[in-house]
Amino acid sequence: MEVIRATDLGIWFKLGKRKRTSVRSFVVGGFKRSPKESGEFWALRHVNLTVNAGDTLGIIGRNGSGKSTLLRAIGGIYPPDEGDVTVRGSVTTQFALGTGFQSELPGVDNIYLNGILMGLSKREIDGMLDDIIEFADIGEFIDIPVKTYSTGMHSRLGFAIAVNVHKDIVLIDEIMGVGDARFRKKCEEKMERLIGERTIILVSHDMNTIRRFANKVLWLDKGQIVAQGEPEEVIQRYLET
Amino acid sequence: MFEQCKNIWQRRELLFYLVTSDLKAQNRNKLLGFLWNFLDPLLLMATYIVLVAVIFDRGGPQFPVLLFCAILAWRWFTSSLSRSVTSVSSKVGVVQTTRFPLAVLPLAIVTSGLVDYFAGLIILLPLLFAFDATFSLHMLWLPLLLLVQLVGTIGAALICAVIGTYLTDWGNILQFGLRLWFFLSPILYSVEGTVPKRYETVFWLNPFAALMESYKNILVRGMPPSEYMVIPVGMAIIVFVIGVWYFGREERKLVKAI
Repeated sequence: MEVIRATDLGIWFKLGKRKRTSVRSFVVGGFKRSPKESGEFWALRHVNLTVNAGDTLGIIGRNGSGKSTLLRAIGGIYPPDEGDVTVRGSVTTQFALGTGFQSELPGVDNIYLNGILMGLSKREIDGMLDDIIEFADIGEFIDIPVKTYSTGMHSRLGFAIAVNVHKDIVLIDEIMGVGDARFRKKCEEKMERLIGERTIILVSHDMNTIRRFANKVLWLDKGQIVAQGEPEEVIQRYLET
Repeated sequence: MFEQCKNIWQRRELLFYLVTSDLKAQNRNKLLGFLWNFLDPLLLMATYIVLVAVIFDRGGPQFPVLLFCAILAWRWFTSSLSRSVTSVSSKVGVVQTTRFPLAVLPLAIVTSGLVDYFAGLIILLPLLFAFDATFSLHMLWLPLLLLVQLVGTIGAALICAVIGTYLTDWGNILQFGLRLWFFLSPILYSVEGTVPKRYETVFWLNPFAALMESYKNILVRGMPPSEYMVIPVGMAIIVFVIGVWYFGREERKLVKAI
């Protein structure tokens, strides 16, 4: 069964300073700022893809090729500027982590805050709280304000939340590189259990991660699809360039 | 529009968590913690008492308590607007990684300001006794006045959240505008006997003119709300409708603009 379909998907951004305007350009340019006038670039263009239930799609490509933008478009965070995306089922996004934290508050409060942001109810989080704390494995720091955390602890907590909140479709953006070797192993074991059970889209620069988990690979360059299909084939071509 | 309101209502638990974590975070690491909710308006009141009652020798015997009623309401309004300006852009991390109705961000700020307002009422009560306010059934109008202010503030906060995301200088413009608005509203003074007769009609066009006078009337003077309340009521509804519509239109584009 097909759960994700993108047809001729395109998303553009304004460049640099022009993303947000100052009063002068606001008054002069007025409220209507069309993409043509303000130096836009297409982060994604003419993207067509379908993902079936249970697939694990790996997305590869160089920095700035539109991988994260594609995940966000699928996650409904960026609306398409061109074309169309349809998604059947609920989606969780697991991006570069630790971002949603209210840094003045302890880890536990942030677990609730993040979980509820992701659309869970308090009761659901109550049920998984112990799992999350155990997975994060940051000891007594869980009761201390997040602003005192090290980068590693930050990511661990973020990953622990994301990985325990599972919906039909899981979007993962380069998070396997988080934490030390032991934590990484734990993450991979968790991933292994999800394969086939959920539909997963995985962005990574680590070809071993992609080889290990993905059954389909999509290669993006400058916002366009270069190739998609069998993992080994696409990865070979990508590595040759 | 109803669709949007329904969506927000479905995410009320999220709103609740945003408000409580906002309140908790504000008071953490402060020696006096929650006490600041009481101290802040009191100190502000003291400043203006020095200015108006001591230096200008005006305001009358009930001035402190009249001032306090108005300051509480004003504080709620200004803090809501100035904090809404950055409500979306300061949460860039969550906004760009999780899909949720962004309107909860400014809404949480307005709500947490309302909680501060209620905390202020605890201080108001002894002041009412101390300055010999007239207790009457008119006080029961308070929830309705607050509702009018809430509706208008939500609309304005939604608008500020959108413009503040697109326009980096909006915060500065707003600060200046709010300061001017403060002096144009009957907070430090009362309309009667202060505002020149020929300006009075124009003066009442400011929604805070009738609103502030009404707060003072019902809480201190034992009188019904101002007869000009129709202006704040009308404006609150208009601003609310515009705010919800504008935010709804821009919501998804905001994510890309940050």
